[in-house]
This record gives sequence, structure tokens and C-alpha cells, in this order.
Amino acid sequence: MDAVINDFTLNIATANGTGSQSANLILLHSMFEMGVPVSGKNLFPSNISGLPTWYIIRVSDQGYQAPGDRTHFQIVMNKDTWFKDVEGAEPGTIILYNEDVKMPVDRDDCLVFGMPMTKMARSISPKMAKMIANMYYVGALQYLLGIDQDALERAVNRQFKGKASAVESNLKAIEEGRLFAEENIDWDQPYTLESREKIEGQFLVDGNEAVALGSIYGGINMLSWYPITPSSSIAEGIIQWLPELRNTEDGDATCAVVQAEDELAAAGMVVGAGWAGGRGMTCTSGPGISLMSEFVGLAYFAEIPGVIWDVNRVGPSTGLPTRTQQGDLNLLREASHGDTDHIVLIPGTVEECFEFGWRAFDYAERFQTLIFGFSDLDLGMNNWLCSGFEYPSEPMDRGKVIRTKEQMDAVENYGRYRDVDGDGIPYRTLPGSGLDPILYRGTGHDEDGIYSEDPVVYRELMKRLKRKSDNARDILPAPILREEKEQEVGIIYMGSMENTIQEIDDIIEETGIKVSQCRVRALPLHSEIEAFVERHEKVIVLEINRDGQLYGVLRKELPIHLVPKVISVAYSDGLPPRARFYAERIMRSLKEASE
Amino acid sequence: MSENKKARPVKLNVIELPKTDYTGGPSSLCPGCGHDQISNVIIQACWENGIEPHRIAKMSGIGCSSKTPAYFLGQSHGFNTVHGRMPSVTTGANMVNKNLVYLGVSGDGDTASIGIGQFIHAIRRNLNMVYIIENNGVYGLTKGQYSATVEKGSRKRKGSANEQPPIDLCKLAINLGCGFVARSFSGAKKQLTALLKAGLSHKGIAIIDVISPCVTFSNNDESYRSYGYVKDHEEELHGVDYIHHFEPIAEVDIPEGEFEDVKLFDGSTLRLETIDQTYDYTDPTAALAALHHAEIEKKHITGLLHHNTEMPTADEDQGLIDIALCDLPEDLMRPSKEKHSEMMAKFRM
Repeated sequence: MDAVINDFTLNIATANGTGSQSANLILLHSMFEMGVPVSGKNLFPSNISGLPTWYIIRVSDQGYQAPGDRTHFQIVMNKDTWFKDVEGAEPGTIILYNEDVKMPVDRDDCLVFGMPMTKMARSISPKMAKMIANMYYVGALQYLLGIDQDALERAVNRQFKGKASAVESNLKAIEEGRLFAEENIDWDQPYTLESREKIEGQFLVDGNEAVALGSIYGGINMLSWYPITPSSSIAEGIIQWLPELRNTEDGDATCAVVQAEDELAAAGMVVGAGWAGGRGMTCTSGPGISLMSEFVGLAYFAEIPGVIWDVNRVGPSTGLPTRTQQGDLNLLREASHGDTDHIVLIPGTVEECFEFGWRAFDYAERFQTLIFGFSDLDLGMNNWLCSGFEYPSEPMDRGKVIRTKEQMDAVENYGRYRDVDGDGIPYRTLPGSGLDPILYRGTGHDEDGIYSEDPVVYRELMKRLKRKSDNARDILPAPILREEKEQEVGIIYMGSMENTIQEIDDIIEETGIKVSQCRVRALPLHSEIEAFVERHEKVIVLEINRDGQLYGVLRKELPIHLVPKVISVAYSDGLPPRARFYAERIMRSLKEASE
Repeated sequence: MSENKKARPVKLNVIELPKTDYTGGPSSLCPGCGHDQISNVIIQACWENGIEPHRIAKMSGIGCSSKTPAYFLGQSHGFNTVHGRMPSVTTGANMVNKNLVYLGVSGDGDTASIGIGQFIHAIRRNLNMVYIIENNGVYGLTKGQYSATVEKGSRKRKGSANEQPPIDLCKLAINLGCGFVARSFSGAKKQLTALLKAGLSHKGIAIIDVISPCVTFSNNDESYRSYGYVKDHEEELHGVDYIHHFEPIAEVDIPEGEFEDVKLFDGSTLRLETIDQTYDYTDPTAALAALHHAEIEKKHITGLLHHNTEMPTADEDQGLIDIALCDLPEDLMRPSKEKHSEMMAKFRM
């Protein structure tokens, strides 16, 4: 049998809160330490302890990061999902299970190996047996796949932060697991790991920590937040990194952190901070955005800078709170009542999470409006390969803020809402400055900020706000284009789909169709997107939701003659996208379109 | 007019500003509205306290009361925010600029219903602000629905009596550990001015609940918040006088009878003249008992209900740098390249 090197998928079924996360991260990091391209996805429940969790590790020399089309190794630890996990395995799957659960595994068509994991763990620590039992599958996999011992030890040390007793007992369990497998498993399967040259400087990090760091580099002055999965780790990341990165030498803080009473208050604090001239931010998920919407409208209309990150989870309502989706795009783009059109930044990689993290504040102050960062659970909470975060390439853009009398005198015909430069962006003064103070309001106002219900005044104000966002289009991050010269089919997509698109592209190209890619990175749409559509015969808009929300944006914004060649492929079931699944849907849609 | 009459010199305050520097635009509230009297008190108190107008931030929510920042302190920035959410906007502003004097104006619909959560949490954090509730017991702008502070059995001009018990915002504030809780009446100009000046000199949140009759919807005698009812059923806990920190105490008229001085954060003094009993404003249970008895007797007690200065404010809790965060230079807002390299090295370890 030819060896299958660095090209397989593991699915580890455990119960939440049993310590399996440590074992899974040790596996992931061991492979990473060997230089093998890996990605890990945690499918976890909305629960602290007891409900089923699956961890999927994709090993792929091609760098594919989506969960694979099939599972090669199924680890079965959880009695609650036992039958489903065992029966769900495709013929030929290698099933490794904990004998001590005392559940049957009747699969003659699979390779089935049992190990008394809990019993063996009890000999190391009776109290911790349930946790340590997970290390035995790590040990068995070390033998089966050939995980390098040095790499493994580095991963264990990292996981337990060098804590000697934990490192020792877990390494011992792993070793026992490996020896047990050596003695008891007659291994003739082709799957194996081969070390690769580790790319210098690469590490694994999740998108939320990247956003947290980006925000710190963006000069965040005020973080308000209300805990919600899957966004909380942005706030926790900021809190964790602030003392080291932003406190003064005397230990004074340069960013306030307020855990708010709810999302309404969190948004209010962002608006207050922006009004007072600081850089305020909050992070949340869909339910929080719903609650914040009233303030979002105020910030839009009164032109107050601020940043809100939405880490999308599955809606509507409480939905599937620990699963992923791109279902909040409509919500963000037109949040709040009345006519609004918000700027939305959509990172697709952890590097972009960092970059958009700091840029968001510059855009907010430049355009004097609220900026949404749009991430999702998959990008935000899973570990991704990262080549490093680039130091901000530009100094901060604090926008048109008048801080002195001289600056004020230099502006002809100043009015808080007067478009003196013709770019839709007025000047502003800050509370405390004494410079042309106004009472900010969410009610209709004229160019001087005075209350007005005048129809012409209202209409002109709304037109200027539109002009402001139109002018932002080509200043915001441009789409990333990867084009074939054939220009047959173009795929427009966004966000975390970046991690699956190349595999989708490769699957489609196997059928002879050439595929170009265009990743949208901001709304309102960049003008290059229209040109991309113009150039291609057929354009697929690919996204992780039910109704094709990005497709809707394109339909609304593209010239009418381009709309017929744009096809929506939208699908969402809570899971991270699997490449073949989406590829097949694309091919079906293309076929239907040509009939 | 007599041609001989000399132009009177304009009276200036301690920082040599005329009172006109503290006024605002014309009011669009109903003629005779109690809120306008409160606006005048705000102008008077800020002027007498000698606060530079530009250092004041006027904050409000939505409703009749929240419109009033347009009618006072025209040289101060202000923010008429959304319904019930003035405290959170003030919190965000206070975090990035702790050097401003935050003066919040809210109503009873704003504070006791839609924004009660934010009211509670502003007190819990001890946000450094004066929080005035212009409390009339009705939703005025939507034409006279009962609010949650109106007394059971109270009746407005039209419609049936209110059947639900009131939320007493002063009781609530005292229970939450608020360090400055006062109640007054929009018609009691002297008392309200003294209390507001004291609130402005207090460090931390100062809650001043001002009964302010709605002349349009509930100024009838069956309303417990009508001008006439409050006039007849108001009981002052103490006469109050405020002595500026910049005025020597000796120069102030000593009131007759006994008095007690409340020392305020900026060195000013609130002088409480004992009226008929010794009321211990430092004891929260005394305040709660007094409010409870007043409610049973369908009376309003006014004055400084509770005072305690021993609490850090929300911004002090943050351990912030002295300079306001909105004025930070860029090198204090972005880690240096050296720090960046150290941080990246940690990831690559």
C-alpha cells in the first residue's frame, strides 16, 4: 500500500469538560512542531461540562484547512455519542476507542482498536484518571502516525506552561499509550506523518486574539463588553495584553475596561468614548448587535466614531451559540432603523484580524462613524497558522478633529455638520475644548447641529451621509483577487471561507472549469468588485448562510445588466464549510444556470 | 426709563464670568413647566460654583427633561442620547476624559423604566457625575401616560388613577450604596440650588431627584406631584445652605439654631440646618426609614437624604494615567516596535 503522507483527517469525540481539549491541542501542536501543515476545529456545545464535543484535525501538505471530506481516524471516548460516532464512520475508518466506557463497537468493515484508557490512567492518578485518559489516545496516535518525540514534548510543555508535575504525568500517560499501541496494534495502514521544514516564524493563533492585539495597536482607549460566545475572548485577550503592551512605565493604564451591564450599555459606552474624542470599542455576537442597534443608528446619524466587532454565531435568536455562520452581514450593513449603510470590515485570515483590528479605529475617526469588524466563530475561536503580525504600516489617522483655536480659525465657515471640504466628512470639536460647542443629538439637525425638521435640511444631511460612505468604498481594504486568464467562473466570497476556497477551487478545476477568486474584505463594495463581475462569464457568490446575504448586497449595488450572471450559493448548517460539499453545490448551480 | 439711571455693572462670578455665559437657548417646554425652573437652578449653581462652562458636559436621555440641555449652558458640549441610556454614554465619555464635569439630566420614564438598569449600574460603579432626575410622574412628550415613580392612587387630569406602587429612586439609590442622594422640588429654588452646588462638589455619583410637576398632564389636586400638593405636603429634613470652598466660612451667615456642616470633596461645605429632629444623613437606614414613613403619610421629604464620601469613582478604579485618554499622544496609544518584536517572539517560542 502506498504511504499516505500528511493527508488525512482525525475526528476526536469526547465530552465537554473532561480535559480532552488539552490532549487535542497537544496533538495539533505536536504536528505543527514537526512542520506539518495542520488545522484544528473545535465543535463544542453550549455547555460547561458533559455535552459532546468533537475536535477535528486536518493534516494537509496542500495546506487545506477545512475539515476534510471524510474522517480517516475516529477517536471514540464519549458514551453519549458512541453509536452515532461508531455508525457514522465510513468503511475503512480507523476507530480507536476507550474500552473502559464498556460500549460495543461492531464494525467489521473498519479497523477497530480498543484501549483501557481510564484504567491505565487510574494507575497514574486515581483522581485525575478521567482527564489523563485522553492522553492515551495521544500516545496511541503517536505510534500510529509517527509523531516526533521532541515535537510532542514541546507541545506538552507548551500546553501545561512548563508546570513540571503536569508535564511529567501527562508525558507518562502518553508514553504508556504509545507502548500499549506498539504491543497491541498490528499496524499496516498507509497514513503517516512526515516532518517538513517548519516555516520560520510561523505559529498558531486564533482570530479573536489577533483582533485583540490589533485593537491594542489601534490605540483603543476604552473597551466595554458584555460576555457572549464566541466574542468574549477578544475582550479577554485585550485585558490580558494591555498591561504589557499599553501601560506606561509607571504602570498607569492608557485604556479603560468596563464590563457592561448589557450590550446596550456596552454600545452606549463606545458612543460616549467616541463623542469625547477617545477610541472606544466593544465586541459581541449577533444577539448583542440586535441590542446595540439603537446606538448604532445614533452613532451613524450624529457621526460619532466607534468600533464594534461581531463574531458571528448561528442565528436567528439564540440559535446554535457555539457554531459558525456568516449570517449577520445584513444586520451589520443596515443596522438600526431608518436609512443606514455602515462600513463593515471582513477579515479572512488571522493576519487580517490583526490588521483590521487597528485600522478599524482609523476608519472610525476618519469617517466619523461606527465601524463593524465582522468575524465568525470559525475564524475567531479556532487555531490558524499565522506567519506573524505586521507592525502598523501607517501612523494613526485621527480624522478631522479641531483641537485648537488656530485650527478652528483655519476652517472657513465651520459648522459641526457642514461639508466644507466637499468629501462628505465635516470637522468636529471635542467636549472640554470650548470650541464651538453643540448639543449632539439623534434628532434631525442642521449643518450647525441645531434641531431641525426642515425637509430640505434632512434630505441634504442624508445625501451627505451617503456621499461619505460612497467615498469610503475605495479607501477601505480592496478585494483579494486570484484570477485565471480564462475568466470563465468567478467566485466572490468573504471572511473565513478563505480557509476553504482553495480546496473548493481545486475540486472544481478537476472537472476542467477554471475558477477565479475574489474575496470581499469590506462593505460598501470596492469598485474592483464590479469590474471582476464584468470580466467573468459567470459569478458565484459563495457564503455560509441560508439566503445569500452577500449576494443580496451585490444585487443591490451592481448595475442591473450585471445581475443576471451572478448566482448565489449559500448554505449553512452550523459546521465550518467542507470543501467538496460547497464545490458540488457550485457545480450544480453552474449546470442549472447553463440549462 | 430714567436717563440718569446708571448701567448696573454686570455681576461676575469667581472666575469673572457673567451669568449669561451659562445660559442656553429658549425653552420649548410648556409654559410654567417645573423643568424650566430646574434649568435656571442649573445655570445659577454652575455660575455660582465658578465652573468654566467648557469643562461641563451636559448629558441627557430622551423625554421632556432630556430636551432641557438645549436651554442651559450653551457654551458646554452636550449629548442628547437615547431613551434611558444617558448613563452608559456618560460612562464611556468619563473613561476617556475624566477631567470634565458630567451633568446628567434625566426623567422618571428615562430613569425608572427604560433606563433603570443603567441607573443602577452607574451607581454601582460610582460614576463621577451629577445625575438629576426631573421627576413628574408622567411621560410628557407622549402625552401623559403614568410613569413608574407615580404614587399609588395618584390621579392625573384625565383617565383613571394609578394602581401600582411607585419606584422610589432615592430609596433605590441608597440601597445601592450611592454616596450622595438628595430630593428636592423644582419650586424650592434655594434648597435645590444648594443641593446641586453640593452635588457638583461631590466626588462620585450625586443623585438629585427633583419633584417637578407636569403643568399639562398632572397639575390637578388629585395628583401627588402637582405644584399645590407638593407645596402642602413637603417636609424639609433640614434647611440647606452651601458654602463655596473659595468663600471663608466666617463670612457666611450662620443660620439660627443648630446646624451641621457636610464637608464636600472640593473643600466646600453643605450646611444643614436642623429643623425639628436630628437627622443622621450618614446613616442609610435613617434615610430609608424617613422615606418609608413619608410614603405612608403621602408626604415628600426633601433635603440631603444620604451622604458618604468613602468610595472610589469608576475612573479611579481604572488606574488611569493622569492625562485624559482623549489627549494621549500616539506613542502612548500604540506599542513600540521593540515591544512588538518582544510580543511576536513570545508567540514564536
